[in-house]
Amino acid sequence: MAIRLSFRLAALLCWLLISAAGAVVVFNYESSPGSSGSTPLRWPENAPIALDENRDTLVMFAHPHCPCTRASIGELNRLLAQAAGRVAAHVVFLKPSEFSSEWTQTALRRSAEEIPGVDVRDDADGALARQFGAQTSGYVVLYNNHGDLLFHGGITAGRGHAGDNSGESAILALAENRETRIAQTPVYGCSLLNQQCSPEKDAALCTK
Amino acid sequence: MHEINKHEPSVNDPTQARTVELFKEQQQSIIQHTDRLFARIMVFQWIGGIVAALLISPRTWAGTQSQIHLHLWAAIFLGGLVTSLPVLLAWTQPGKTLTRHTIAIGQMLMSALLIHLTGGRIETHFHVFGSLAILAFYRDWRVLISASVVVYVDHVLRGMFWAQSVYGVLQAPIWRSLEHAGWVIFEVTFLIISIRKSLSEMFIVAERQANLEAMKASIEHTVEQRTVELRKSESLLEQAQQIARLGSWEWDIVADKVTWSEETRRLYGHAPGDIGFTMKRCFDRVHPDDHERAWRVIEDATKSGGHFVCDHRVVLPDGTERIIHGRGEVILDERKQPVRIIGTAQDVTERVRAEEALRRSEEQLRQSQKMEAVGRLAGGVAHDFNNLLTVIGGYCDLLLRQVNGNDKLRADAEEIQRASDRAAALTRQLLAFSRKQVLQPRVIDINEIVGGMEKMLRRLIGEDVDLRTVFDAKLGQIKADPGQMEQVVLNLVVNARDAMPRGGKLTVETANVYIDQKTTFRNRGLDPGEYVMLAISDTGVGMTDEVKAHLFEPFFSTKGVGKGTGLGLATCYGIITQSEGDIRVYSEPGCGTTFKIYLPRVRQSATAAPIAREPSDLPRGSESILIVEDDIAVRRLATSVLRSCGYEVQEAANAIEALGLIDAQLRFDLVITDVIMPQMSGKELYTQLIDRVPQTKVLFISGYTDDALAHHGVLDEDLQFLEKPFSPAGLAQKIREVLDKTPALLAV
Repeated sequence: MAIRLSFRLAALLCWLLISAAGAVVVFNYESSPGSSGSTPLRWPENAPIALDENRDTLVMFAHPHCPCTRASIGELNRLLAQAAGRVAAHVVFLKPSEFSSEWTQTALRRSAEEIPGVDVRDDADGALARQFGAQTSGYVVLYNNHGDLLFHGGITAGRGHAGDNSGESAILALAENRETRIAQTPVYGCSLLNQQCSPEKDAALCTK
Repeated sequence: MHEINKHEPSVNDPTQARTVELFKEQQQSIIQHTDRLFARIMVFQWIGGIVAALLISPRTWAGTQSQIHLHLWAAIFLGGLVTSLPVLLAWTQPGKTLTRHTIAIGQMLMSALLIHLTGGRIETHFHVFGSLAILAFYRDWRVLISASVVVYVDHVLRGMFWAQSVYGVLQAPIWRSLEHAGWVIFEVTFLIISIRKSLSEMFIVAERQANLEAMKASIEHTVEQRTVELRKSESLLEQAQQIARLGSWEWDIVADKVTWSEETRRLYGHAPGDIGFTMKRCFDRVHPDDHERAWRVIEDATKSGGHFVCDHRVVLPDGTERIIHGRGEVILDERKQPVRIIGTAQDVTERVRAEEALRRSEEQLRQSQKMEAVGRLAGGVAHDFNNLLTVIGGYCDLLLRQVNGNDKLRADAEEIQRASDRAAALTRQLLAFSRKQVLQPRVIDINEIVGGMEKMLRRLIGEDVDLRTVFDAKLGQIKADPGQMEQVVLNLVVNARDAMPRGGKLTVETANVYIDQKTTFRNRGLDPGEYVMLAISDTGVGMTDEVKAHLFEPFFSTKGVGKGTGLGLATCYGIITQSEGDIRVYSEPGCGTTFKIYLPRVRQSATAAPIAREPSDLPRGSESILIVEDDIAVRRLATSVLRSCGYEVQEAANAIEALGLIDAQLRFDLVITDVIMPQMSGKELYTQLIDRVPQTKVLFISGYTDDALAHHGVLDEDLQFLEKPFSPAGLAQKIREVLDKTPALLAV
C-alpha cells in the first residue's frame, strides 16, 4: 500500500515537474523581448509622417500577421482612450513589396483602423521602421510636439499579453504631463525582420 | 466539520454508525461523480486550448517568414501533459484523495495555460474562479486548499521571475501576490462555508435515511416475526384440522370461486394446487345420490341467508366413499345480498361407521338377549314337555303294541301318537332356533343328505314347481347333525314352495367354495377357508329389504296367521350357526330368492349312519341298569320298558340317591341318568360315578341339556346320549347299542 502510494506521489511529482518545466519554457518565451534598433532622439525631418504641432505624436510599428501585436493594439486602444486626444497616434504596418496590398488587410489592421483618431498606414518594405529603429512588432515611439523623443519600447507586459504594463503607464503619464522615470521598455512581438537578417545589414533586403 | 464530528458513530448505536456509513457513501459517490465530471471538463479544456491557440496565435512571424506559434505547441503538449494525469486518475481511480488533489492542481495549471494562451485576457481569469467553484463539488475543503496553493505559488514564482507578465511591472513586491491570492481566498472561504453547510445537510439526510432504514428494518423484523407466528399458527391450524379431519372452505358467490384449506382439499380428494374451482365443479365429488339434496341445501341457504348443515357423501378419485359433515354460513353484504359462504367440512366416516357398527351390535345384542330369553323359555318348556311327551309317547307306543289292528282303540292311540310326535317336533324346533338343542354331528356328504330327501321333496313341493339339483361331484365333507341338516333343507324347500304359489323353478345346488378373506353378513363373519356351499334358489316373489332384515327372527312370518309358525328360518339359522356355518340370503322383490348355506369343509370320510331297526321287536338283555330320573312318570316308563326287555332295573329319583346305591356296593352294567335334575346334575353324577367306578357305562337322557353335557349344544363324542322324548323302542335300541359297544369295559 505504501509502495503504491509512493509510486503515485512520485508520478504526481514528475508530472508537476514536467508541467512546470513546460510552463517555464512558455513563460520564458512570453517574457523574451524582441530586438530594437537605434531610435532617433529627434523626429526625423524626412519622415513621411507629419509631427503634430500641438500634441505628442505616437507611432506604433506592427507586423500585420503578428498574433502578439493584437495585445499591443488592444493596449493602444486603451491608452488612447485614457489619453483622451492628447496624443496623435499612427500605426504603421509592415508591407513588403513582394506581397500585394491584401497581405496587410488583416484582422489586426482592422482592429487598429477601428481605434478612433488613429492613422493607419503601410510601411513599404519597413523603410519607416528602419528610420525609427523599430525591429519588433508593437514597437512604439513617442515624440512631443517639438520633435523630442519621449519614449520608445513596447506597451505590453509580455508577448501578446494584455494588461497593465509600465510602457503604457509611462506614455499615459507623459501625455498627461506627469513625471515618469520610464522612457524605454522592452518590446514583445514578432520580428519585423526576417530571421537571417541583422540590423546592420540592408534592412530592405531583410524583409524580402 | 464540527457538526459531523459530533455525530461520530457509537459502537452501541447502530443507527449512528449507519448514518456515518451512509454519509460517507454519499460523499464518496459525489467525489467519484465529480472526478468523472472533471475528467470530461479537462479533456474539453485541452481541446478548447488547442482551438484557442489555433484561432489566436496559430503562427508567429519574423518579417515575411512564419512558423507555428509556440502557443500552439504549448496548447497541444503542455496542455496534454497537464490534462493527462488527472484524467487518467479520474477514470482509473475515482474517489481517491490523490485523484481529486491532482485534478485540483491540474485544473489550476490549466487555468494558467489558458490565460496565457488567450493573451492574459481578464475574462480568462474567471476560469480560475469557475474551476474553484466546480472543485467545490467535491465538498472537500482540502481540494480547494490544494488549488489555492497552486494559484498562490504560480503568482509568487511569476512575480519573482516574470513580474511583468503578471503585474505589468518589471519588479513587483511580494504583497502583490497576496493581493491576487486574496481574491482566491475570498472565494474559497465562501466555498468552504458552503461545503460545510452542504456536508451538514448531507449528514442530516444520511441520518434520516439511517433512521428510515432502521425503522424499515424494525418493521420488516416485526413483519417477519408476525409472518413466522402466522405460519406457525397456520401450521397448527392445519395440523388441528388434519387431526380433527376438519377442513374449512369459502365460496365467493359473486366470482363463483371456491377456496379451501389443505384438509378440505384432502377430504375431497383434490390434487395439491387445485384451487379456485367453481361450486358446480366442487360438487363433482359429491355422491350422486346426495348431489341434488346437498345442492338444494346450499341453494336454500343462499336464498334465506343464515347457516346450514349438510351431511353428504363424497366419492374420491380412487372410488373410496367418505361421509362429510358440512356446515356453512352465508355472508351478506350491506344490501343483504349473499356474497360469500364460509364453511367447514368434517370427515365423520369413522364415527358414522362406528355408530352403525354400534347400532348393529346393539341390534345383535338385543337379538341375542331375545334369543336367550326365548331359549330359556324353550329350554324350560322343552325339559318338562319332553318328559311329558316321553311318557305320553311311550305309553302310547306300549298301548299300540298291545292292541291289534282292528281294535277301536288303536286309531285313538295312533292319534295320540301323532299328536305327541307333532308336539315333539315343535319342541325340537323351539330348541333348534334357540340353539339349545343337542346336536350329534358326524362327517356327512351333503349331496347324500339332499339326494336322499329328493323324492320326499318332490312330493312336498308339488307338480307346479320344477325341482332341479346341481350337485358338485367332488363336493367335500362337512361335520353336522344329519337330522338337523335334513330339517334345514326341508324348511328352506317349504319356504321356496310357498314363495311360488303359481309354480316355478327350485334349484338345489352344492359346490365347494373357498373364501379368501373374512366376510361378514348379518353381523356374522366367516373366516377364510374351505367351505361347502348349499344353495336353494327359487323363482318366487322375492323379498323386500324390510323382510330380509327380520327374516331369521323367530315368530316372524309373511304367510299369514295360521299358515306358518315363524320358526322355520329361525330354526335353520340356529342349526347352521350352531354348526359354525352361515346362511345368507339374496333376494329382490319379483326376482326370486337364493339361500346360501356355508359349512366348514372337513378332510375326513363320511361316517355311516347307524342303521335304525324297526322297533317291532324290542332288543332284550339281562344286564343290570340303574335309572336316575327325577320325573317319576318317565322313570316308571323306562323301568317298565326295560324290565319288559329282561333287564334288571334299579331306580333312583336323583343323583344323591343313585350315589347312595353305588356306595352301597351295588354295581350296574349301565347307569341311565337324566341331565337336568335338582341338587345334582347328571353330568356331576357322571363325574363322581367315574371316580368311584371308572368303567361304568352311562347313558344320558334329556330333552334339554343347557350345556351341561355339550359345548354350545354339540355333544362330547365319548358321551352316550338319548334325546327326549324317546320311544320305548328307541330306548331299548340305544341301551342295547351302548351295552354292546364296549362289552369288556364294564366292571360292576
